[in-house]
Amino acid sequence: MALADFLANLEQLAEQAESAFSSAGSAEALEQARVEFLGAKAGQLRKVQQGLGQVDKADKPAAGKRFNEVKRLVEAAFAASQQRLAHSPVESQPALDVTVPGVPWRIGHLHPITQTIRRMQDIMGRLGFTAVEGPEIEDDWHNFEALNIPLEHPARDPLENFYLGVAGATSASPLLLRSQTSTVQIRVMEDCVASTAPGEDPPPVRVISLGRVYRPDTADATHYPMFHQIEGLLVDRGVTMAHLKSVLRLFCQSYFAATGEGQGEQVHVRFRPSFFPFTEPSVEVDMNWTNAAGQSSWMEMGGAGMVDPAVLRAVGYDPEQVTGFAFGLGVERICMRQHGITDIRALYQNDVRFLEQF
Amino acid sequence: MIVSWNWLQEYVELGMSVAELTDRLTLTGLNLEGVAHVGDDVAIDLEVTSNRPDCLGHLGVAREIAVLWQQPLREPTATPATAGPAVTELAGVEVQCPALCPHYTARVLRGIKVGPSPAWLADRLRTLGIAVINNVVDISNYVMLECGQPLHAFDYQKLAGHKIVVRQSRDGEKFLAINHQEYELPAGTCVIADTEQAVALGGVMGGAHTEVSPDTTDVLMEAASFAPLAVRNTARQLQLHSDSSYRFERGMDPERIEWASRRCCALILELAGGKLAPGVIRCASPTVPRPTVRLRLSQLPRILGIEVPPQRVHKILTDLGCRGDLSSAAQPDAPCLHLIPPSWRADLTREIDLIEEVARIHGYEQIPEDASVKMVASQPSREDRVVEQVQAVLVAAGFDEAMTLSAVEQDWVQKFQPWTQAPPLTVSTPLLRRANCLRQTLVLSLLEARRNNEKLLNRTIELFEIASIYLPASGSEQEGKGSQHNASEAGLPDQRRMLTLSSGRSFADVKGVLETLVRTLAPAATWTAVAWEDRFLAAGRACQFKLGERVWGVLGEVSPWGLDSLGLRGAATVAELDLAALTALAVDVRQAQVMSVFPPMRRDLNIVVDQQVSWVEVERVVRQAGDSLLESIQFQDDAYRDADQLGAGKKSLLFSLQLRSQTSTLTNEQADACRDSMVAALEREVGGQLRS
Repeated sequence: MALADFLANLEQLAEQAESAFSSAGSAEALEQARVEFLGAKAGQLRKVQQGLGQVDKADKPAAGKRFNEVKRLVEAAFAASQQRLAHSPVESQPALDVTVPGVPWRIGHLHPITQTIRRMQDIMGRLGFTAVEGPEIEDDWHNFEALNIPLEHPARDPLENFYLGVAGATSASPLLLRSQTSTVQIRVMEDCVASTAPGEDPPPVRVISLGRVYRPDTADATHYPMFHQIEGLLVDRGVTMAHLKSVLRLFCQSYFAATGEGQGEQVHVRFRPSFFPFTEPSVEVDMNWTNAAGQSSWMEMGGAGMVDPAVLRAVGYDPEQVTGFAFGLGVERICMRQHGITDIRALYQNDVRFLEQF
Repeated sequence: MIVSWNWLQEYVELGMSVAELTDRLTLTGLNLEGVAHVGDDVAIDLEVTSNRPDCLGHLGVAREIAVLWQQPLREPTATPATAGPAVTELAGVEVQCPALCPHYTARVLRGIKVGPSPAWLADRLRTLGIAVINNVVDISNYVMLECGQPLHAFDYQKLAGHKIVVRQSRDGEKFLAINHQEYELPAGTCVIADTEQAVALGGVMGGAHTEVSPDTTDVLMEAASFAPLAVRNTARQLQLHSDSSYRFERGMDPERIEWASRRCCALILELAGGKLAPGVIRCASPTVPRPTVRLRLSQLPRILGIEVPPQRVHKILTDLGCRGDLSSAAQPDAPCLHLIPPSWRADLTREIDLIEEVARIHGYEQIPEDASVKMVASQPSREDRVVEQVQAVLVAAGFDEAMTLSAVEQDWVQKFQPWTQAPPLTVSTPLLRRANCLRQTLVLSLLEARRNNEKLLNRTIELFEIASIYLPASGSEQEGKGSQHNASEAGLPDQRRMLTLSSGRSFADVKGVLETLVRTLAPAATWTAVAWEDRFLAAGRACQFKLGERVWGVLGEVSPWGLDSLGLRGAATVAELDLAALTALAVDVRQAQVMSVFPPMRRDLNIVVDQQVSWVEVERVVRQAGDSLLESIQFQDDAYRDADQLGAGKKSLLFSLQLRSQTSTLTNEQADACRDSMVAALEREVGGQLRS
């Protein structure tokens, strides 16, 4: 007999034996299995041992060594099963009051705003939008000029912004806490243009920018001087308002279906004309919303529009070559609506009892 | 802008219900704010965006309705009869500052009878919530609310010299407004004066002195335009906002001035009697002709994603008041329209403006919501991936995520400045209460949150936050002033994201969390803690973290002084790490190591060393001596310092070793030999003695 055949038989037997022992549900069944495999007279192992005589002489020491190893393993498996059957936990340990609470294990909680932003970022990521960030302290080129907001525009009023009182700052370019995340879009487009070789077209842009923005609102239940925005921007050849509407619908569908609201229902968006200096046409975006009582209504999501040609030109894109859309959503409003938060200040008071709800 | 249902019917047929009307207006640019029933009338509050001052009068709103429902618009006539001497014989007008007042007209009515307005007029004003005063004032308000153009009636007999001088205010000039409050005018304010004093604030408010009273018999009727920015500045500086300033700030139709003046006079003649002097006194800067705008029809589908039939485009734009050459639409290869937008739509100057008009009247509901968007791969940034891991570890470690304000109070800044000694950046108005300093660390903000939680008697207060700090621009000076629209961030302050923790646990506990965090992000990272002193942190219980020479984090228990100065009751430990450093450390894609199949051996060591010998030195020596057999080393204790037992200035260090070979099962003898070599190395390098 070849050594390989002998060893193959041996391994197969060991496997069978171990399986028989571990599946034995009672002492009787285990004894039966023991006789079957380890029986001194007619056990399977014994039979294999007899086969040892037929192995080639040169292979005999190796075969014998392996046989002994396997035999020890099978015996160990039997012993383990014996022990398993002997130590039924019901018999050996006192019964627990299973209604007593387990050992407390403290975990923390992500802020609801972070959770909202993550969900939004994930969905927009699936739609091909890469998240980018930019500085919160901005110059007025990025916060206003490049966004087609001229000096005489009311949005630039000192009372509508947090301007920095930096000693020695030049009045030519005052700094301020950004009042919108559109600033990041300008930076992204500028970077794209700057990294384009002369004579070539700058690359398409598909980004979302997220983060804190600041406006001097008196804090009350629905206003806070600091809040979060998510803004999307897509610039490419052939981008239309139909793309804008479709992306926003997909976003709303994903966001609100994923969180159980509007599940199974088709979500629709609608546009209402509006006015923003950096987009034209400009629209307000509403999403149809079914409340707990089953009544459908329109919920305001944010502002959107086609990137104004003046903005494209300001950053170095040719509005005759490309078009783009942009949209901005208020994170707090969506977060509060979703979680039933009625006072925006609760988000920034950091009462741990509040935070631990999410 | 509140409009009256009854009033609108004067100009356009309203065959629809209020709900139908407001729904349609909402979807075409006049958002419904509210509807109220006033008597037998309905007040409809419409939100008018700042680019649409033409809708700040009933006629403008009626025009929108007429376009949407394809109804004719009925404009009232304004042809008052005149009598007596010409107006130029009765009054004079001099405009000294045409930049602030580009257009001024005056008419004079004499022999009128001031009295109550008729009910129909008073009712319409009441529907809009406008105070009813007397027929002359009410009529000027009425005409403003009809066409948007503000008007002002002066008592002609009280105008010194019967003369209007439009000039800039003198330094310290005082003005008694129609609300009977006195204002000191900033120099350069546009005032309407007579030969003696200011009698009105141009475009903002009339004055008490020449106010129309029950005794007034003659009035000078002003219809003018004022520079938007100047009006806004005056209104803001004096906190004096009026229906008039609201309209002038947005810019009114220059061609409506004359009509409004005549319309107002006609109504006064009708309702208050008197005679209108023939003619008008006009001081007007030359008007710039409105430019022709070319609209290429191919741009509509390019922007909107839908086709709009050329006839429809043409109809919408002409209904809205555009005039121009229509035949060019017939050019077959590149059809386009050349149009002159109406005078009341200063917002229409470009092709894209006309596209928006077509889109909103044609209806945004025509735009499909199922267009397919090209597929593009996107990926989270490295920093975003690190932030997610950081959040996961800290949440697992029992920390709640906080979000705190980006600014703190001035008094707080200097309590703790781990990253800079420079004064903080400040904002002109505090973000909240007295918080006007942009923060240089999140530690103070998180401790404030901790204090608020202590006040609420919350027991476990474990907080972390990831946010920016703001430091003055480091290094290089600002770029040249001309290059402010440079894509780089030159000239901006240094804004760094931090990961910050505040905890009720000990130094060692928080350090353990940070070590776990770093190990999760970068298993092989080597970094060191260096003892650090800062009055905000307890002496001997604070450190900086260094990577090479660079400080990338701090950790410490807050000192009694620190706790006291922030009003904290319980002990607190804080830590702050530079997120950029963590991001740089993080290992994105892990590589598998082959695990040894041989069993490990454990050895425990108790070594006596001088107290100033730091663990990090001991660990270095042990690792070096243990070489490849040392799998891990675990610190156990260094608290035992009994001088009688150990000798003065000594401490006993307890630690465990796990030894393992990659190639064979270690024997006891091999393990002991390895341990002995470590003991020998410790004796040699740090003077350590094995304690038996």
